[in-house]
Amino acid sequence: MKRRKFLAASVLTGVGVNAATAQTGTRAARPESRSSDLPRGITPSAFSNRSSGYSQFTVPDYYTYTDDLRVERNRPGKPHKGKVLAAIQAHSDDVPLYCAGTVAKLIDEGYTGYLIRLSNDEAAGKTLGHGVVQNEIDNREVARALGCKQAFTFYYRNHRMDDIAAVEIRARLIFLYRLLQVDTILAMDPYNHYEENPDHLVAARAAEAACWMAAGDKDYPEHYRAGLKPTYVREKYYHARSPNGHNLVNRVVDISSYIDTKVRANVANRGKGPAGAAGSRLRHELAAQRKRLPLLGDSDDSADFNYVKHFLMDDWRTLGQRFGVGYAEAFRYIGPEPGYDANIRKYVDANVVPL
Amino acid sequence: MSEVIIERDRPGQPHKGKVLAAIHAHMDDVPLFAGGLCAKLIAEGYTGYLIRTSNDEMRGGGSPAENILSNEQDHFRVAKALGFKEVFDFCYRNHCMNDISAIDLRGRLILLFRLLKVDTVVSFNPWGHFEENPDHWVTGRAVEEACWMSGVETNCHEHLEAGIRPHSVSERWFFAARDTQPWNRVVDISLYIEKKVDGITECKSQGGGNDGSKLRARLANQGKRLPLLGDSDATADRAYVREFLLDPWREAGKEHGLACAERFWYINHRPPAKTRVQEYVERHAVPL
Repeated sequence: MKRRKFLAASVLTGVGVNAATAQTGTRAARPESRSSDLPRGITPSAFSNRSSGYSQFTVPDYYTYTDDLRVERNRPGKPHKGKVLAAIQAHSDDVPLYCAGTVAKLIDEGYTGYLIRLSNDEAAGKTLGHGVVQNEIDNREVARALGCKQAFTFYYRNHRMDDIAAVEIRARLIFLYRLLQVDTILAMDPYNHYEENPDHLVAARAAEAACWMAAGDKDYPEHYRAGLKPTYVREKYYHARSPNGHNLVNRVVDISSYIDTKVRANVANRGKGPAGAAGSRLRHELAAQRKRLPLLGDSDDSADFNYVKHFLMDDWRTLGQRFGVGYAEAFRYIGPEPGYDANIRKYVDANVVPL
Repeated sequence: MSEVIIERDRPGQPHKGKVLAAIHAHMDDVPLFAGGLCAKLIAEGYTGYLIRTSNDEMRGGGSPAENILSNEQDHFRVAKALGFKEVFDFCYRNHCMNDISAIDLRGRLILLFRLLKVDTVVSFNPWGHFEENPDHWVTGRAVEEACWMSGVETNCHEHLEAGIRPHSVSERWFFAARDTQPWNRVVDISLYIEKKVDGITECKSQGGGNDGSKLRARLANQGKRLPLLGDSDATADRAYVREFLLDPWREAGKEHGLACAERFWYINHRPPAKTRVQEYVERHAVPL
């Protein structure tokens, strides 16, 4: 029972609740109120996410929340000016679907952003060639929609990334981290349980390992000979992937102000995924039946935008409501390490005595 | 086998402005197989870089850790003795290089070939038969692949973002490291024998560079000395290398009337001054 109370408290105190929030927060804190055969006395350790049923590519099945969860809200001004973020994705639709709101928020708050795609996305398209080209275009357009300065692609074969050398992909990421002097990454959670796409895990593991190795002077010293500088990636936002996922969450980012940017990033993703031109396709399909859906508006552009916002963002809205905000994305956030040496020095200074 | 060409000394600095990368797996490979050629090319104007791919942990008489250190130190001295400007060490595990990622090794070589603007490489023959050391052929294959891929801008295209331009390697000198491996070029290293001796003598952890001083010490323990070895460890090492370790290269030279020679499989991919199409256009183009 203690554990049950503890989880309930963590969700409620993390959000600065108002009345409406308290209601949703209370629901979130009481998974036993939902359909469950969990016997009394057994504390659940994960929360099932509500789904609109409109898309499988939204929030994962379960989150486990930590007791120090924070809701990251808008920060006025440009507090991140001078900092660099890299959003790393295996496929052109990963970042748009799972963390585009946070990328847009951080860039708006001062970060210089880069989008790095690792696969060639050949498995999505009318033909393999068409898929590769369309997704290449999409990656650039997504970067543009999010306000990234530049997009990179490594072109590893789609769905086959578990066959490539982990050290090679890591080395290339180390090169880019050093070149771009990356401070912060956003990537798939490398420990996303029940992840069925090997590209996601491979990309995430490489992104994670490259973070600290990019600071080392013994890893790839030839980079320094080429004029690159070491960099230590201090902040990581690891996002979940659905369906199936189960992720540890300690950071919920309020993306309400950036939901339209997220929508546009998804609309830009035309080669694959549930968004892109799905709205205009539906509009044309209905028109052929001499029908129209008012939601879609009067043009293909409005149809694409409204389709994505209404159907594909709904689960982000539901997640946001759980935390008292309009829309939200959830992460396992890893922040800067404490100043260990400085802390020891502080202790020494405070406790040192004469000989 | 194609016609064998004798590569003789070239007066002056005909290679001035060109860049040479000698890539070996182990600290003693270049000194033994191509020390004379590298010294010759550097003397003729090349700027030379020495790249070692393994960490040499299996050789040196100490623990693997001690061997890594002693070979690393030897490698710096070998480079200096042969006239190389700079040393790069990749430090893949010795004798285990067939278990590493080929594209990781290749990617690192591509970066260096582009960064240093390498025109010419000296390395293992990637297709040399009966090469029993995996580090050798793994290195040779990666070198061969990196030579042309470094000129293709879509390979490791992130290098361009760092201002590192594509640059392909034109000339390749592949060692004839085993008797069974082919050669099409015999390089007269008669003028560079002492440089080759300098290089081999620095190979203390492996390669026989300190065999002279070890023999001198052994004889001294028996109350003997060998006049050939001189009066110090330094003279003993040099004399030993010169007298006993250069036989294969003296034999290689003898066939061609040379005091000493090294053999290579040479490949020249330098583009012609004019392509056949350009020549054809020049001959046949008419006014509109």
